[in-house]
Amino acid sequence: MASERAAFLTQMVEVLTSTVSFGERLNNMVHLLARNLKVDLSLYFGLDKARETLLLNVSSQGPIPPHLRLEFPLGQGLVGETARTRKPTVVHRQQPGVSAANVALEKLHPAYQTLAAFPVADDNFLYGVLILVDRTERSLSAAERQGVQLTCLMLAAALRQAIVQEEAKKRIAELSVLFEVGKALSSTVELDELLERIVSTTAKVITARGAALHIINTATGETRVSSRYGQIPPESPALPQITPSGAATEPPYYEGESTDATGHTHYCLAVPLTFKGQLTGTLGVYDKFNPNGEYLPFDPENRQLLFTMAGVIVNAIENALTYQQVEDLAERNERMVRNLTALQEISQIMLTSVQEARLQEIVLQGLTLEHGLGFDRAVILMVDEATQTLRGAQGACRMPLTSDLPNLKALQSPPPGMIPVADWEVPLRADQGPLALAVLRKSPYHHHQTVKEPGLPPALAGKYAAQEFFVAPLVVKDRATGVILVDNQASGRPLEPERLHALQMFATQAALVLENAHLYSTIETNNRELLLIRERMLESDRLAALSSLASGMAHEIRNPLVSIGGFARRIAKLVEPNSPLRGYVEVIQEEVTRLEKLLREILDFTGENLSYYGDHELAKLIEDTLILVQRDLDGYKIKVLREFAQLPRLHCDDRQMKQVFYNLFQNAIQAMSHGGTLSIRTFPVEKSDGLYAATSISDTGSGIPMEVLHNIFNPFFSTKDYGTGLGLAIAQRIVSRHYGQIEVNNEIGKGVTFIVTLPVAKYCLVKDVGQGAVPASVLKTPRGGRQ
Amino acid sequence: MKKILVADDEMSIRLLYSEELKEEGYEVYQAANGREALEIVEKIPLDLIILDIKMPEMDGIEALRQIKEKRPDLPVVLSTAYGEYKQDFATWASDEYLVKSSDLEDLKAVVKRYLKE
Repeated sequence: MASERAAFLTQMVEVLTSTVSFGERLNNMVHLLARNLKVDLSLYFGLDKARETLLLNVSSQGPIPPHLRLEFPLGQGLVGETARTRKPTVVHRQQPGVSAANVALEKLHPAYQTLAAFPVADDNFLYGVLILVDRTERSLSAAERQGVQLTCLMLAAALRQAIVQEEAKKRIAELSVLFEVGKALSSTVELDELLERIVSTTAKVITARGAALHIINTATGETRVSSRYGQIPPESPALPQITPSGAATEPPYYEGESTDATGHTHYCLAVPLTFKGQLTGTLGVYDKFNPNGEYLPFDPENRQLLFTMAGVIVNAIENALTYQQVEDLAERNERMVRNLTALQEISQIMLTSVQEARLQEIVLQGLTLEHGLGFDRAVILMVDEATQTLRGAQGACRMPLTSDLPNLKALQSPPPGMIPVADWEVPLRADQGPLALAVLRKSPYHHHQTVKEPGLPPALAGKYAAQEFFVAPLVVKDRATGVILVDNQASGRPLEPERLHALQMFATQAALVLENAHLYSTIETNNRELLLIRERMLESDRLAALSSLASGMAHEIRNPLVSIGGFARRIAKLVEPNSPLRGYVEVIQEEVTRLEKLLREILDFTGENLSYYGDHELAKLIEDTLILVQRDLDGYKIKVLREFAQLPRLHCDDRQMKQVFYNLFQNAIQAMSHGGTLSIRTFPVEKSDGLYAATSISDTGSGIPMEVLHNIFNPFFSTKDYGTGLGLAIAQRIVSRHYGQIEVNNEIGKGVTFIVTLPVAKYCLVKDVGQGAVPASVLKTPRGGRQ
Repeated sequence: MKKILVADDEMSIRLLYSEELKEEGYEVYQAANGREALEIVEKIPLDLIILDIKMPEMDGIEALRQIKEKRPDLPVVLSTAYGEYKQDFATWASDEYLVKSSDLEDLKAVVKRYLKE
C-alpha cells in the first residue's frame, strides 16, 4: 500500500515538476489522478480572476468542447461549495440535494454515483477545485484521500508559480516596451522627430496598424502639433474625443469600433495626454492585429500600457517643446544680435557724412546690402512741410552679392542700383495709403495680401508695385520727417515681423542722422542768408546814418541857400542892367543854383528819396523778420508767442518795416539772454483820424533803466558794447516816415513793450493806387484830402 | 488885398518870401512855427498859407492837420527843404508841395493860381 502511495506521489511530483508548459502539466496530472484512483473522470475547475465563478479548465476526457464549458458560481453545487468551504468532500448521487445541485455535471457523466471534491489552495489563495467522478458508489481510502490532497497542494504551488511567472513575463514585456519607448523618446529632442518616434513605437508595442498623436492649445483650440503613423482607418475618428469617465478611480479614455464597407470591424483606443499649462492632447492607436492579420479589439492591458506610455510621452514632449522654444529664442537672439551689429556698423558709417543726399545713399545701402538688413528694394521719402506731401528722395535695389564683400565698409564706396523716385509725390492725407498713414500715425506698417488696409497710393501707380512691403516712419522728436519703404518683391523672401522691428530700429537711427544733416544744411543756408542780411543791414545802417546826415545837412544848407539865392535874385532886380554889380549877383545866383542841384543829387544818391512802397501783410512782415532772428531765439531759448489779428494790408516799404521789427526783436533778444518769452501781438487801433494797425513786441527782460529811458531813441546812444546805437533811432525814423508811432512801455524787472502803430485806412483811400484790397468798412474819409 | 501867411522857422526865408509876395501885391503875415501860424489863422481871414514842415514847437504836418480842421477851404502850400516828404501821405492834405528853391518863380506861380479872382 505504502509503496503504491509512494509510486503515485512520485508520479505526481514528476508530472508537476516536468519542464512542459503549465497547461500540459495540469492536463497530465488530471489524467494521472483518474488513472491512479481508478475513477471515471477527473476534472479541474479554475477560479476566475474576479474570484466569483469556477470554470471547467481541464478534463481527463481530453479537450473540452464549447458546449461543455461548465461553470459554477462560488457556493453553488459541489464545486462552488467546496471552493467556498475549502474542505474536501465526497458525496453520492442518492444523498439528498446532491443530484439537484450538480445537474450540470450530468452532461459530463450522466451515470455518476460518486463525486469527490478537493479544493486546490495554499495558505492564502484558492485557485480552483478538483473533482473526481465515478459511476460506482464508492469512497476514498484515507491514503487515497491524503494522496489527492497532497496532489492538490502541489498543484496549488505550481499554479502560484505559474501565476507569478505570468506576471513576471508581463512585467518584463511592459518594461521592455517602456524601455523601447524611453529609448525612442530620449533619442532626439527635435519635436517632429520625437513625435514620429512616439507614434511609431506606440503602434509597434501595441501591435496596432496605426497610431496618432494630437496636441491642442486649450486657450485657442488650435492644434499645436500632430503626428500619425501607419494606417488610420477612415471610419475611425482622427481626433477621438475623450470624455471623462463617470468613475473617479478610472482615468478617462476612448474606445470605439466601427465597421467599414467590406464588413471589417475597426477598433480605436485613445488616452489623454495631460500637460502643464494650456496644452492637452490625445494618443490613439488603431486596429490591433494578430499574426494572422486579423483585427482585434484592444484589451485592458493595452489600455494600461497606453496610459503608462502617455505619462512618459508627456514629459518627453514637454521637454521637446521647451527645447524648441529655447531654440527659437536663441535663433531670435542671434538674429537680433546680427541686426544690432549691422545697425551699429551702419550708424558708424552714417556718422562719416553730414550731406543729406550722401546719407540717404548710405541708409539705402544699409537697407539693401546682404550684410545689412538685406531687403530687395528700399526707398526713402521725405516730408515736404510746405506742401504737406511726401516726396521721393532716393531709392535703391539690392546689389548682387559679391563673395569678396567682407563687411559693411563696402558701404563707403560704390553707389547701389538706384531707383528713380524724384517724381514720387504722396499727399499727407489719411486716405493716401500706408505711406501717408505711417507719417500721420508715426507707426510702422506691414502690408501683405491678407490685410484689408489699402495698398500703395494711386500716386505711385505704374512706378512701384509690391504685394508685401514694410513702411517705417522716420521719427525725430515726435515728428515724422519721412518714411522708409522696403520690400522683397524680387527674391520673394518673406518679411518676418522681426524684420519690421529691426527696420524700425534702423529707421530711428536713420531719422536722427538725416535730421541732423537736414538741420546742418539748414543752418548752413541760414548762416549764409544771415551773413548776407547782416551785411545788408550794416550797409543800410551806414546808409541810414549817411542819409540822416545828408538830410540834416540838406535842411541846414538848403534854407540858407534859398535865402542867399532868393535875395541875390532880389538884388539882381534892383541893380541897373549895366552895373558891374549885376555880374556879381548873377555869379551868386548861378552858384546857388549849382549848389541846390548838387544837393538834390546827393539826396538822390543816399536813397533818401527812394522808397519801395507796396501793400504788405503785417503778420507776414513779422514772420519774415522772425526767421532772421530764429537762431538767436533758439540759442537763448526764447519762446515766441504770437497773437495776430485780422488786419488790412499796410502800404509801406517792406524792407524798412522789416528793419524796424528786426531792430526791435534784436533789442528784445538781447534783453533776454537768459531765456524768456517774446510776445508779439497785432491789433487794430481806432484813432480820431482813422484806423491804425498796432504791433506790440514785449520781452520778459529786466526793463530799461530809468536814467537811460529818455535816450533810447537818440541816434548813437547805446548801452551795449557793440552796435551802432542807431537801432531804435532808425526804427523810429522809419515808423515816423510811415506816419506811425513807436511807444515804449517800460516795467523795471518785468520787461519792455514797444508798440508800433501804423496808419492803414487813410492812406489807402488817398492814394488810389489800385493795389492791395482793403475792405470798404475800414476806409475813412481823410480830413483835407486833396480833391 | 489877399492875405498870405508865411510860416517858417528861418527868419531869412520868411523875409525873402514876404518881400517877394508883397511885391506881387499881397498882404503877408509871418509865423515862426506851427503854433503861431494857428494863432494867426484864428485871428486873420487868410487866403493862403505857405507852410514849412520842420519847425520847432509845432511842425508843419500837425499845423496842416489843425488848419484843415479849422479852415478846410484855406489853401495850404507846403514849402520845405525835404523833397522826400512829398511822398508821405500826411502832407497830401496840403494843396501844393514845393521843395524850397532860391528861384521863387514856381512859388509865386502857385500862389497866383490859387488867389486869382
